[in-house]
Amino acid sequence: MRVRILTTLGKPLTLLLLGILLGGHVFADDIAESSRVSESEALFVRRVAPLLREKCLGCHGQDPKLIEGSLDLRSFAGLKVGGDSGEAAVVPGEPEHSPLYLASTRTSDDWSEMPPKEAEQLSEQQLEWLRDWIASGAVWPDEDRVAEIQAAYESEWSAEDGIAVATSGGLDEHWTNRKYDPTGLWAYQPVQKPALKTDRNPIDVLIEDGLADGTDLAPRADRRTLIRRATYDLTGLPPTPSEVERFLQDPADDRVAFEKLLERLLQSPHYGERMAQHWLDVVRYADSSGFANDFERGNAWRYRDYVIRSFNEDKPYDQFIREQIAGDEIDPNDPECLIATGFLRMGPWELTSMEVAKVARQRFLDDVTNSVGETFLGHSLQCARCHDHKFDPIPTRDYYSVQAVFATTQFAERKAEFLDDENRAGFDEKRYLNRSKQIHERTLEEIEQVLLDNSQIWFQENGKDPAAWNQELKRLRSKGKVKSLFTSARNAMRAAGIPESDYPPKLVGFTPEQFGKERVARKGLQRLRWEQERYQPYALAVYSGRTVSRTSVMSPIRMPKDRWTKGELESSVILTGGDPFSAGEAVSPGVLSVIENQVSAEIPVAIEGRRAAFANWVAAPENPLTSRVIVNRLWQWHFGDAIAGNANNFGATGKPPTHPELLDWLAATLVEENWSIKAMHRRIMNSDVYGRSSSNVSTQPYQGFKTRRLSAEELRDSMLAVTGELNPVLGGIPCRPEINQEVALQPRQVMGTFAAAWVPNPKPEDRHRRSIYVLKLRGLIDPFLEVFNVPSPDFSCERRSASTVTPQVFSLFNGQSTHSRALALADRARRERESDEDAITRCFELVLSRSPSREEMNEMLAHWSRVQEILPASPPERSRPPLEVVRKAVEENTGEKFEFVERLHANVDFQPDLQPADVDRHTWALADVCLVLLNCNEFVYVY
Amino acid sequence: MFVMPRRESLFRMGTSLGGIALASMLADEASADATRDQASQAAPMQPKPGHVPAKAKNCIFLMMEGGPSHIDTFDPKPKLNQLHLQEFVRQGQQNSAMESGKRYFVQSPFSFSRHGESGAPMADNWTHLPKVADELCFYRGCQVDSVNHPTAMYQMNCGNRFGGDPGIGAWVTYGLGSENQSLPGFIVLPEVSYPQGGAANWSNGYLPAFYQGTPLRAKGSPILDLQPPVGVSRTRQRLNLDLLSRMNQRHAAKHPEHDELSARLESYELAFRMQTEVPEAMDLSGETKETFAMYGIGNDATDAFGRKCLLARKMVEKGVRFVQLYNGTWDSHDYIERAHGNLVRGVDQPIAALIQDLKQRGLLESTLVVWCGEFGRSPDNGVRGGTAYGRDHNANAMTIWMAGGGVNAGHTIGATDETGMTAVEEVRPVRDFHVTLLRLLGLDDNKLTYYHAGRFKQLSQFGGKVIEPLIA
Repeated sequence: MRVRILTTLGKPLTLLLLGILLGGHVFADDIAESSRVSESEALFVRRVAPLLREKCLGCHGQDPKLIEGSLDLRSFAGLKVGGDSGEAAVVPGEPEHSPLYLASTRTSDDWSEMPPKEAEQLSEQQLEWLRDWIASGAVWPDEDRVAEIQAAYESEWSAEDGIAVATSGGLDEHWTNRKYDPTGLWAYQPVQKPALKTDRNPIDVLIEDGLADGTDLAPRADRRTLIRRATYDLTGLPPTPSEVERFLQDPADDRVAFEKLLERLLQSPHYGERMAQHWLDVVRYADSSGFANDFERGNAWRYRDYVIRSFNEDKPYDQFIREQIAGDEIDPNDPECLIATGFLRMGPWELTSMEVAKVARQRFLDDVTNSVGETFLGHSLQCARCHDHKFDPIPTRDYYSVQAVFATTQFAERKAEFLDDENRAGFDEKRYLNRSKQIHERTLEEIEQVLLDNSQIWFQENGKDPAAWNQELKRLRSKGKVKSLFTSARNAMRAAGIPESDYPPKLVGFTPEQFGKERVARKGLQRLRWEQERYQPYALAVYSGRTVSRTSVMSPIRMPKDRWTKGELESSVILTGGDPFSAGEAVSPGVLSVIENQVSAEIPVAIEGRRAAFANWVAAPENPLTSRVIVNRLWQWHFGDAIAGNANNFGATGKPPTHPELLDWLAATLVEENWSIKAMHRRIMNSDVYGRSSSNVSTQPYQGFKTRRLSAEELRDSMLAVTGELNPVLGGIPCRPEINQEVALQPRQVMGTFAAAWVPNPKPEDRHRRSIYVLKLRGLIDPFLEVFNVPSPDFSCERRSASTVTPQVFSLFNGQSTHSRALALADRARRERESDEDAITRCFELVLSRSPSREEMNEMLAHWSRVQEILPASPPERSRPPLEVVRKAVEENTGEKFEFVERLHANVDFQPDLQPADVDRHTWALADVCLVLLNCNEFVYVY
Repeated sequence: MFVMPRRESLFRMGTSLGGIALASMLADEASADATRDQASQAAPMQPKPGHVPAKAKNCIFLMMEGGPSHIDTFDPKPKLNQLHLQEFVRQGQQNSAMESGKRYFVQSPFSFSRHGESGAPMADNWTHLPKVADELCFYRGCQVDSVNHPTAMYQMNCGNRFGGDPGIGAWVTYGLGSENQSLPGFIVLPEVSYPQGGAANWSNGYLPAFYQGTPLRAKGSPILDLQPPVGVSRTRQRLNLDLLSRMNQRHAAKHPEHDELSARLESYELAFRMQTEVPEAMDLSGETKETFAMYGIGNDATDAFGRKCLLARKMVEKGVRFVQLYNGTWDSHDYIERAHGNLVRGVDQPIAALIQDLKQRGLLESTLVVWCGEFGRSPDNGVRGGTAYGRDHNANAMTIWMAGGGVNAGHTIGATDETGMTAVEEVRPVRDFHVTLLRLLGLDDNKLTYYHAGRFKQLSQFGGKVIEPLIA
């Protein structure tokens, strides 16, 4: 059967307007006659009118110029006329013959489903209301009558229909006055610490309260399991065999021994690395800017290390917030404070001359507004960019008020002296960049000569007089100019008013090769300027000031001298539909009005001080969102699931807390304990619920411990740790491990050229650093990390996923890096232990924190000797990394192929990892046993 | 603190005023979705029925990265011959630096002829494509939101300008699965150099990782680390795999509660099978000399793209759902005659061959072929000295064509103004084009949604409308 659409084409506009005019008069008589409210009237006012507004008017009336299928649902007349189908949308008394109802059921053969989006379909309850309204006569009272009915029933209905919430007000009155289901408003209520009279850890009391009576709780996990669990949770690394041994042998009571273990782990510098990894997921850390150029953010690493330091120092969380939002305003002379503001610049951003400058600026403002909301307040504020929030009490006005806080926030790579505890090792690697620089400069010199030569040919071929040109060149040379003579001469010709046809065009006479080489060299130098920032005492930071007009940003921005006076002082307005060119009502810098009655804020309108005031508001102890958001994240970092299931979304569309009292207890305790994160770890990890075994079949959350797969970084770091190759040093410029070589050398187009190849650090100790230090480019993610669900830095990651996909097998079982680790582990075991059995035991202890069973031992020994029998006669030749790579491309000026050679300078000094040719056959064969251990589920999961 | 059983509250509070029911429903849907994900972990790529009857089963998407000029390919503008080198100035906050300042109109260096019964105009340097002119449906009404390459590429490929969202192929495989379980369902054949914006153009975004586009490399290992390092024989690998399997089975026996363990065990066996199956699927040696010649394989200008087109046909034959081919860069700011001339030469014969080949094998009916770039090009050019002119970016006009399954072949839909500056008929945003593409494959964009960051997301971002005239 052909499905009809409520509407079809071509209804005259006049008729439609008539419908609107008549709408009010239809029931004029009824109003005068009767004050008794009929069921149909009541249903309309209470249920149907809001339903139409919410579900239908977007396309059927809100914008009278764009009415879908001529069906106007703003009035009864519109309903009666119907849409292009010509049938009335409603037949009073007959829901089963009313297209409006039939379309809404989504099961009609005759009418296509409405609303079109499945996610917006009417609930059973809503359908019932619609049906009952039609069945009871589809009465549509006029505006006065609606107001009358509303007034009469207000108190009765509002008690049942939800509650109004005071905000700064929506774009329209309906939004401002709408009612909310209180369950979606939990996050805006003041934190109330439950009063518990108990000697037990309140966490356990509150968790067990939530379990069904008589639930069989899993017993406490054994010590071996617990030390792996706690060590991974707090450091992201496996415990060493001696740490395991010490813990197993500790004569103290289980709990006391565990407490001591936690203290040791909390003091480990690797604690900060682990927590920072979680934080960087949320803030979208990357060492590059994304988009067309993906320029390196050479000094982003200082922000990464700031985060690590902050966790290691147990910096009070409120201070951590203030520094990241407003460090520059709080203390511009403290490098640490400047570095902290790198947070505000974590989103992908660039400005090229291909983009409209105002659009790019607005991208930053939207990005930072949303990021602050997601990170600290558990609200994805972008939902309110174009319209008042559909579900939460966040009006668009608030969105732009928060945005106004950042209207004077400007980018700069600011001078910030290195701190004593910043790791400045490895800066000498800049000699490799210098070599690239020299090569590019030489290319440009050669190209310059080509242009000058071609110019002379051009004059000859075109029969033009080169006198003026040559005289200009002579003049330039006499002034000592050696670079860019060609361009300078052309500029001089143009300035002198000489017609363009009388002097050589740009890039005169270039071959495709020369077009390409010139571009590669010029852009290459541009890219190097960003990379050289790594070694400079500058911070990826912001300042408060006026907005300077720019058409592109092709090199790091330094602090301007005249920030108070030069440029535009941005005025903040509501942007209609989120469009930077549709200015609406003006707004002042502000906060989320829904909680302003609990925590007020006076944000100055002066250029400086807006962020500091805003940061104080976010970090205020009485802000009900901030403390809940961070303890909720902490809980998730330990248990895999958060208490409120969407850590970035505390609104009505996020999962409500499973244990609201626990969340509040944690939030209140955090604030009481001076926002100490480490104190929270102690509270959480010393609980019974944290210590439970995972081995029982759990039917309810927290009945037993939830198993998790190692994250991508933990997996890589653990392999390096068990082989003994891991360089445990903290912080510093990003490192570059060996990654899949095809990906490393994969040409990567950036604007006008190719990004440099991925060249690993020459020395093993520089590459074998923890994954948090690996150079994180938006345009090139290590495929190993990627297949194990490392999140893209384009979105805030509230929670890692852990999917099982086949490419993981290719990476972990076939990939060169696991094979290298396996060989290093075999070599270590054989160096450290005499007998084969002891070597196997050593591998088990290192990888799995236990000894093999007898059965396993026999199996491993048999495998070892079997593999040794079938190894190739000789090991593969030692591989050397390439010293150059030939780049082939289609040159964009000519559409012709061209190629050039990229030299990989650091590879000259490359020292390879251990290779089969470096060890005896017995060790080589043991590597296969190790490969299997590194792939086994017992290693990959934390129990 | 309000604590109330949710279902109860749903009935008591009702729709009310302001979207309560919807919010509740969303939360329900979200958890249902999570369950569905977990359930489908074992076989996420199993073929699934679409939402509406499909016109096409598979899609081959020819992405001409860099922005091919509509004016110099399929949308002739004789008016520009009159305006050639006339100056004008475009200014304002809404322009990028590229578009501002003194500009010249420039005529196309190419002449045009009409082809086929439909009389579709094509620039005369297309010498093979005219043979299949009546198979094509040209669309001139699409507009994008960005004049910058990566943002426009992201929008064309993923719906969202800012990157990070799932690519079309990811959405399609999420919606339909794929016929072949030993090959990825979404395959990408990139240029040797990745386009601006990189692999994010075929990302799975927030969809589960199964739906990520897998780039197949022309050289070396087609899939990263498909084979173990040199020297590891298949016997040795099987031995290692058997040992691993025994260890994992013993471990699983101790952890019956942990159901991911078996999925991980399975994935090793699938990987082992793929090691032989993928290279077989990619092997072109079984193809005839005639086929090679047809695609221009062996000829320097057409070899690279010819191989990709032939491989695309093979993949579709094998039941791969979505294949995306990249070519470029078509970013001809200067010397467009030379640049576009070379680019067209590289793709003309392979594309014509692909369509003919699909047709002769009876695959064209069930395969949707799409040709487009991320935007079109401007009728004007900045100051280039008047001799070496090309064209700049143009978000307001472009040509897209489609062929095969269900498209309105032999028609040109929509139109641009007399200079090609902007679309003026059947003007639609990219999202409508995406919705149309999904519809042809049997998917309803409004149902193909995924809950992420607080709302149901979809390829069109906020919903769009099918461009009906494009559908037969």
